[in-house]
Amino acid sequence: MEEKHGIAKVMAIIPGLAFMIATLYVLRTYVEPWMAEAVVMGQKGWLVKVLSLNYILLAILTGMLYRNVLWAGKIPDWAAEGFRTTRLFIKSGVMMLGSLYTIQGLFKVGGIAITLIFSFVFGTILFVIWYGGRQKMDRSLIGVMAASCGVCGVSAAVATTPAVRAKPADVALAIATILGFGIVTMFISPAIGHMLNLTDYQFGAWVGTGILNSGQVLATCLAYNPDIAPGTAVAYGEIWNVVRVISIPFVVFAITMWYWRSEAQAEHVSLLSIIKDKFPIFIFGFFGMTALSSLGMLGAEGSETIHLMRTVMSWIFGLGLVGQGAYIDIRELRAAGGAPLKVGLAAGAFKYVLALVVVLLFVAKEANF
Amino acid sequence: MSEPKKNTKMTVFKTDRHEDMAAMFFVGLVVASILIYMAFIIPNVTIKAPAAGKVVAVAVEPGAEVKKGDFLYSLELKGKPEPKKYKAVTNGKILSVSAKPEDKVKKGKTDILVLEHQKGTLP
Repeated sequence: MEEKHGIAKVMAIIPGLAFMIATLYVLRTYVEPWMAEAVVMGQKGWLVKVLSLNYILLAILTGMLYRNVLWAGKIPDWAAEGFRTTRLFIKSGVMMLGSLYTIQGLFKVGGIAITLIFSFVFGTILFVIWYGGRQKMDRSLIGVMAASCGVCGVSAAVATTPAVRAKPADVALAIATILGFGIVTMFISPAIGHMLNLTDYQFGAWVGTGILNSGQVLATCLAYNPDIAPGTAVAYGEIWNVVRVISIPFVVFAITMWYWRSEAQAEHVSLLSIIKDKFPIFIFGFFGMTALSSLGMLGAEGSETIHLMRTVMSWIFGLGLVGQGAYIDIRELRAAGGAPLKVGLAAGAFKYVLALVVVLLFVAKEANF
Repeated sequence: MSEPKKNTKMTVFKTDRHEDMAAMFFVGLVVASILIYMAFIIPNVTIKAPAAGKVVAVAVEPGAEVKKGDFLYSLELKGKPEPKKYKAVTNGKILSVSAKPEDKVKKGKTDILVLEHQKGTLP
């Protein structure tokens, strides 16, 4: 599709964006209330209570249906630009979530989050390097797989690509494997959480550590508890998510060092240059919101102002997640296979299960937050 | 280190960095709009039940002036032994009170009272 600029670009965004807004409006206004009242398997609200189907999961499922059924695998040109605003909305929502915390609260929970995330991120990277080597995978592919399994499916894989000279096919394979795994965990985690009677704090800690993609962490936490407020699953999960996102430049640096250490043509790459190029600066927005909240500039907890802000936030997330669903192409996921699939699934499952065990054994039921 | 060539762009922006900056600008705009709207544009707010439960007491009457921190009403919440007290988060005047003791309320649906807040404060 031809690249557009200026007003033409803005006009090109409108149809797809309007379609996303309309979809979310129908889901929230008609479908979700209907599901809460519908009697299935002899129980009122079974779809919501047992399947945890709320507007968040519905938004993703509807996006997937559009892409894979209605549009036969490709977002049509008229909607493509609008759907490319997906990450803008997810990043905006993540930033606004900063308003759920105070600086003191972040310090309290942040220590545990940093310890867990850094142990799991670098533990997974070491696992992928070891297991990928045993599977005789190409070093470039191991590098991209280590980044995508260790820290974040898409961002880290893309960020590591030039440093380890990975081929586009390697990146696509790594992303397909890890996103496929994430989709499954996104739908099963709320049921597991309810079965194990996890508190919002434990669930947020588990999912924030065990699931690899920011959008999927958000969706899973909101599926577990759709409330957006301090002390809810999304509030805790997001602290873990933010720590994980912050670790991206360090992961890229560590993998680059590992890759080039064994290559003949050594290249000088400094941590500072990676941070300068790759640091996701939207995280500053998250902390900015936390600072405003700590100073009481966003209204008191329980006020109508905060209520309105959280309602707007939930719509922003919803929009992002309709788009996220539409970026899940089942046919692309089928590209995953062979050794990368084995390594990706092993690393993903290892991290997911071990994170649950660690949370159950070492993380308190409630946070002093 | 050069940016990877994007053949399947997932953003409308030139780079991820531009997208991050756009997201920060967008959030700034949204938050500022909400704060200005709540502080200066709407004259009063309807306070709805913050949780499902039963009204235990309503401490204010229409026409009463309230100050930030004044006790407004209390709710008996499921599973909580003590009623939860709700206080005014801003100065203002009570315009009407809909809830009365023993009323059952639904979260976000039942009106409790209408408050005319002091201009420039966040109700």
